[in-house]
Amino acid sequence: MSDILQARGVSVHYGGVRALSDVDLDVREGELVGLIGPNGAGKTTFVDALTGFVRYGGTVTLDGADLAGLPPHQRARRGLARTWQSIELFDDLTVWENLAVGSGRSSLWTLAKELIRPAAAGADEIQRALDLVELGWAAELMPDELSQGQRKLVGVARAIAPGPRLLLLDEPAAGLDTSESEELGRRLRALAHEGSSMLLIDHDMGLVLGVCDRIVVLEFGKVIASGTPDEVRRDRRVVEAYLGSAGAERVAEQL
Amino acid sequence: MQQVLLFVLLGLGSGALIACIALAVVLAYRGAGIINLASGAMAMLAGYAFWSLTSGQYGGVEFATGPALVLTFFITLIIGVLVHLIAYRPLRNAAPLAKLVASLGVLLVAQASMVLAFGVTQKPQKSVLPSDTVHVFGTTVPVDRFILAGIVVVMAAALAVAYRFTRFGLATRAAAENEASALLAGLSASRISLANTVLATMVAGTLGVLAASVTQLDAISLPLLVVPALAAALLARLTSFAIACAAGLGIGIINSLVDYFSTKSWFPTDHGVPLPGVKELIAFLLIVLAMFLRGAALPSRGELVEKRLPAVPRPGRVAAPAIALSVVCAAALVVLPFDFRQALINSLIGTIMALSLVVVTGYVGQISVVQLSLAGVAGFTVSHMAVDAGIGFPLAPLAGMAAAVVLGELTAVSALRVRGVSLAVVTLGAAVAISEFGFVNSTWGGGDTGSPVREPHLLGLDLGPHAPFRGLDGGLPSPVFGWVVLAVTVAMCLLVAAIRRSGIGMQMLAVRSNERAAAAAGTDVRAVKLTAFAISAFIAGVAGTLYAYNFGSVSDARFDALTALSLIAFAYAGGVTLVSGALFAGLVSTEALLPHAFDKWLGISGNWFLLFGGVILIFTLIQHPEGIAGALNKRLRKGPKLPSRTAPSLGSQHGAPSPAVGER
Repeated sequence: MSDILQARGVSVHYGGVRALSDVDLDVREGELVGLIGPNGAGKTTFVDALTGFVRYGGTVTLDGADLAGLPPHQRARRGLARTWQSIELFDDLTVWENLAVGSGRSSLWTLAKELIRPAAAGADEIQRALDLVELGWAAELMPDELSQGQRKLVGVARAIAPGPRLLLLDEPAAGLDTSESEELGRRLRALAHEGSSMLLIDHDMGLVLGVCDRIVVLEFGKVIASGTPDEVRRDRRVVEAYLGSAGAERVAEQL
Repeated sequence: MQQVLLFVLLGLGSGALIACIALAVVLAYRGAGIINLASGAMAMLAGYAFWSLTSGQYGGVEFATGPALVLTFFITLIIGVLVHLIAYRPLRNAAPLAKLVASLGVLLVAQASMVLAFGVTQKPQKSVLPSDTVHVFGTTVPVDRFILAGIVVVMAAALAVAYRFTRFGLATRAAAENEASALLAGLSASRISLANTVLATMVAGTLGVLAASVTQLDAISLPLLVVPALAAALLARLTSFAIACAAGLGIGIINSLVDYFSTKSWFPTDHGVPLPGVKELIAFLLIVLAMFLRGAALPSRGELVEKRLPAVPRPGRVAAPAIALSVVCAAALVVLPFDFRQALINSLIGTIMALSLVVVTGYVGQISVVQLSLAGVAGFTVSHMAVDAGIGFPLAPLAGMAAAVVLGELTAVSALRVRGVSLAVVTLGAAVAISEFGFVNSTWGGGDTGSPVREPHLLGLDLGPHAPFRGLDGGLPSPVFGWVVLAVTVAMCLLVAAIRRSGIGMQMLAVRSNERAAAAAGTDVRAVKLTAFAISAFIAGVAGTLYAYNFGSVSDARFDALTALSLIAFAYAGGVTLVSGALFAGLVSTEALLPHAFDKWLGISGNWFLLFGGVILIFTLIQHPEGIAGALNKRLRKGPKLPSRTAPSLGSQHGAPSPAVGER
């Protein structure tokens, strides 16, 4: 299995604050990697860096090609798709159109072609993505007619639709209840089986530990652990980061 | 040198006027979150109130200065309260752009009602301030210049102190920072906004009354003083009263110096007269400078806002209505009497103009006041290519459209940095500058007389309004030209409807909704905006070319800033996201079918339409943000549209989706 994503020494500064320092992270073909960490650990900042929304130091390569200097939309076209913690759907477009935005290209030439022959660009992919999150029935609805959980799933479907090389999921399960979250986990697993590669950020430990092949743990912008779910679960520093040292001792006693 | 000093001091007068309007702009923004385009109009209203009181307009009673001042004070107060209650209060949770458009509605209402009440001739305002002169550094200067400047400086200082140290100022600043928290702290955002709106009206009104010696009282110049005032307010970041005051005075002084320098032999001339529009150009450049110096974004306000623009439904069937409309119009262009034929042609061209706004405002969510100027550029290009270079149809129109697109792209480049409300302000400055500096100029514009346009001929066929084939009454304009305009209008309608269905149309709406998410979905936000502005400019260019052929000459009056603003008002009232809204806008635009019919049959002049336009604009903003056409659409579609859908598994736990689209 080859690396799809290679992040080496990724650092981000916000003014004097070091939000990320020297983060290394790889995602291989068909792999589902989890990225966890307490609030403020820099998880979303990492996704923002990968997708070109913040300036970063270090290198990020996708399929071996350096992404340095590329704006967000070009990274997206090269196959980096993301979802948003705060959903960020296009409220003025139907669910179907939300997914179709990613498959269109903005040039006068394509407009001219479409004026002559309206093309349903990527209709199959859109249908497939909607079916995957079981929202095919909602295709013609507007986002604000859906529940929070459904909107979240539309966001996931929008990222899946163009068939990205790597899917970056920023807290897709936040706002979902336990059963929905488990259902989402099964679908992500199924996607990974089909060969999709994913980086999953979430606070739902059950979800992340349950579905990921490998997990990377961030704290204060640094990688403090990485490995299989079992290794990470047993890592003392990880438990400390989440529960504080007192809690960690108690967990250690139970183990 | 002494002369320079004299003009610097004289400039304090108009500077004071600009400064106080700038103070009003800052107040309205800090206190109510509105970029108030009607700030200058408020000064005008107070001026007219005082003038009509002292000149015996009301029941023949000529009030003395003192009582008239007191009455004017109360009238201005009431105007401020009314404007707040009717226009701004209902919209305080609307998108910033909607508020800006509402202030535009107020501006149009104020202006049109003053024109209706007192005509367009300038009124001699009675001077309240002493008309003595003083000797300063060897020159003689009227003392009122110093008094005016002094008043403004005192007002600015008082406002700055009040905002800093009083509970009212603290409350206002708190509400501007975070409206929700202010509410929770027991402050009424609505009352704060009322107080500030009234205060802003009073500040602008004061100088509207007192500045009689430096400005003429009329319904055009005072409202448009808001443009240099906006430049001053933007330099102050819409925050600092002191900077706004200083910048306003500074702009007044610069304008005065321009007056002085234009008497010099080295000042560039145009056919013997000093180059026109230099002041407007300076105001525009200052706005641009302010945007770049201070950062493109206006200071944000923490409001409880639903920042949505009206929805943009996918157009339904377009072929049938397009054919029906074409047939009816084509027949009407033969049957109708000449004046109604002309009005119908004007309506069609107005529709194309509004379509240009549908693309740029409706689809991409950017308000560009400059679109009508782009049409003007196309029109003047057509005229000058024929007159100066002997190039006619069809090359000249193509060149005209190309010129419009080039200028439109320049606007778009600024739209990449500046967006939303800021863009509206920049393009308003640009529209005034292009009109006064470009179109009034007799070399590259139309001068006093307008620039002639020859009939379009294609393969020996006359396609213009003077074509030999005449309507039933045998008069001009020829139906042939009407048909050409009709065909172009239908084509443009179909184009704009098709854009909404196309991939790039979806991307435009994606950009309008959420630029970050659009970029993450692979949309090149810059390219989409540039494309939208190019298409919009092209459509405006088409309209401008037709305008030129329609009237046989191009003049600046047709493309001035106030006309541009009323066009936006009509387009917004009709439904700025819809092709049908553009059709509505065309029907009510200047010299179009409805105004003409009302004028002819009921004797209701076009100014009444501007007044109604302003009122309807405010009403639709509050009641039907999607415009009149949108509201009709909704009513027609209500009911049978959607079969009931059931939400399986995932949805059910969150409650079923809302029942019908029509009820949204």
